[in-house]
Amino acid sequence: MPKQKQIYARPDLCAGCRTCANACALVHRGATNPRLGAIRIRQDLVERYEFQEICRHCDEPPCVDACMVGCITKDPKTGLVIQDQSRCVGCWMCLMVCPYGAIKRDVVREVAIKCDRCGDRKVPACVEVCPTGALVLEVREDAPVEPFFTEPTVAD
Amino acid sequence: MTHHTAKERPVCLNALVNLTDRTVEYIETPPEIIRKFLGGRGLNMYYLYKYLKPDCDPLSPDNLLIIGNGLLTGMLIPNSGRHSVTCKSPESGIIGDANIGGFFGPEMRFAGIDRLIIRGRAASPVYLYLEDGRVEIRDAGPYWGLTCSETYARLKRDLGSDVEVECIGPAGENMVRFACTRYGVKNAAGRCGTGAVWGSKNLKAIVARGNLGLPAADPEGMLAKYVELRDYLKKSKVINVMGRVGTPLLYDVSNYLGAIRTHNSQQTVFFNTMNAEEVHKYVEKMLSCYGCVVHCRHRNKLGGEGPEYTTEGLLGANIGVADTYRMIELNNLANDLGLDVSSAGTYIAWAIELYERGYINKETAGCELRFGDYPVLRQLLVDIAYRRGFGDVLAEGSRLVDKFGKETADFLIAVKGLPQSDPHDVRYLKAFALGIATSSRGADHLRSRPTLEILDLPSEVRRQIYGAPIDPNPTSYNTKGRVVYFSENIFATIDCLGICKFICLGFNSPRNLNYTHFKDLIRLAYGLEFTEQELEEVGRRVVDLERLLNYQMKGITRKDDTLPARYFDEPMPSARAKGSHIDRAGFNKMLDDYYALRGWDSNGMLPEERVAELNALRGLS
Repeated sequence: MPKQKQIYARPDLCAGCRTCANACALVHRGATNPRLGAIRIRQDLVERYEFQEICRHCDEPPCVDACMVGCITKDPKTGLVIQDQSRCVGCWMCLMVCPYGAIKRDVVREVAIKCDRCGDRKVPACVEVCPTGALVLEVREDAPVEPFFTEPTVAD
Repeated sequence: MTHHTAKERPVCLNALVNLTDRTVEYIETPPEIIRKFLGGRGLNMYYLYKYLKPDCDPLSPDNLLIIGNGLLTGMLIPNSGRHSVTCKSPESGIIGDANIGGFFGPEMRFAGIDRLIIRGRAASPVYLYLEDGRVEIRDAGPYWGLTCSETYARLKRDLGSDVEVECIGPAGENMVRFACTRYGVKNAAGRCGTGAVWGSKNLKAIVARGNLGLPAADPEGMLAKYVELRDYLKKSKVINVMGRVGTPLLYDVSNYLGAIRTHNSQQTVFFNTMNAEEVHKYVEKMLSCYGCVVHCRHRNKLGGEGPEYTTEGLLGANIGVADTYRMIELNNLANDLGLDVSSAGTYIAWAIELYERGYINKETAGCELRFGDYPVLRQLLVDIAYRRGFGDVLAEGSRLVDKFGKETADFLIAVKGLPQSDPHDVRYLKAFALGIATSSRGADHLRSRPTLEILDLPSEVRRQIYGAPIDPNPTSYNTKGRVVYFSENIFATIDCLGICKFICLGFNSPRNLNYTHFKDLIRLAYGLEFTEQELEEVGRRVVDLERLLNYQMKGITRKDDTLPARYFDEPMPSARAKGSHIDRAGFNKMLDDYYALRGWDSNGMLPEERVAELNALRGLS
């Protein structure tokens, strides 16, 4: 399988405007509110940091295993980890297992919000709108190429 | 409880909070009123006009505290994170109105509340909690006494890091008449003493958790427009420099001209230690407010945010503090205490000059007052916020003219009871001077800041912007009435929309967003159609309404549209601007031109038909 382009975050360039998350909400929900976008800007003005939390579309996604209704799947063709939100029951297991804190909650509709990397757009909305270049979509050659499926290993 | 799903959501839902009775009532703004005032500052003024007794004591429960979002606040639109905080000002006694960025306004809208109209006084300290279209009044006992950043951090710790907090610091609690409203570490609704009104109501903070989306009429169109405008704005040189170093870029420009308010405007040139490159040695990172493409806010290495050009001038040059590090310390301190740096720096400098001239003695001041005496001035700033010793006296602000003697007013750089905010000495730029004089909230640059006409623009471009030929000579009194008229109108419209002035026409660049852009953005957001003329008319209507309110509150007329005596009578002492002063005849001519364009009479009063028109709007439910 050819290497897929990934969204890479450059937190040093993030000025914390939340436009990425807002654009995500706008294209997926038709409404603005960064909280409803799949990417999250973690910012603390007193502790003085900001960085992006975004889905990596893991090779071995814990959320797929954790989802009790099986509404999160990894597409073998594209490598994207996709959620069928209409089947989500809001148990939040995916949130709890995600090592990157990259899944969010819509507490009004009680469903998980997860990145689909804007499969129908040339460039994901978050990357397209970022005003500082803190989000980029590219193939990185230095990232180690890993087999898509690995044989289960047994601890010695 | 009101709970609106995205589709039913009204354009503007207001919560009327009575802190005395602990009741909350929800009202929608009728569509015809939205067409006349849009939102933000405009609708705030409308509700002030509708509900406030103009002669009330600003620190009494009768005063209103209105926190209102702009029509476009929270949308996917560049720099759309602003809202306005409005009341009767305890500092000036006329309208008090201040605009603030950060993230609180959008969060409030996502929580389903577009405007809070707060009256009364809580029996003990409270904060408001906003979520899912409802407002709760909660006990703020544990937070009373905390500084602004402590309040912000503690409420986030207690309620969850995903809430947004707007609050006051010790200055607001102690009803210092120039206390500000704060978001986060530095963002402020700085002017007019709004923080003192929070304090008078025993209101420490407002917390919002926004789970609801703001539906857009044309989501794809809005996204495309955002990208288009962002790319367009990022081509602007001024916006790029602003993003690199922030507003301190303006310091050097004013200083080179010989127009930095120094030592209470007795001098006009100060050290280059406040230049942007000096300040930048203390900057860790530049930050954005909600949706911002500029990122002009510094996170400084001394633990705070800022400084702005305003602070460099007023807590630097104006009080004689030349050390960059110390100036930034004062900036961080004033931010945390919740003080308006413009007013604080002006009053302190004024007090020092009064001390030098013998109007204040050592007994009154508690110690010697000297320009540049950092330890004393730093302590004075703290004492003002906690109302201790001479600080308690200075906390009364411009009202001290009555105490110190009428003639001391001549040394106070203020108009209509509000100190001048911009550190720029306006004796050279005549349009700027007129803007300070006519500004509806008192001496303030963010009501007009008319400086575009002096850029090296072709006369045709100037004519296009202002709608008539404009004299590009900054020292000429000709056509400047029109420059101010234009700038005040567009700035008012911008404040109604909730967009930052830094990306809008009139502020530093002739290429920035104008009425045509605003029209397109409103259509994309709500599907509402406006013409450019209608949008400019909104700005004009807001300025008129503010004039009417000011007349009812304090009898504001032509006599009040004036300048500090020093600007008329003393020529500027140094550099390129040397010798400049405001000629009274020239000033009166500018004022006549300005009144004529507004349709006000020669005494600066609204015509009766206009008053009747505004009255009719007030009658609508």
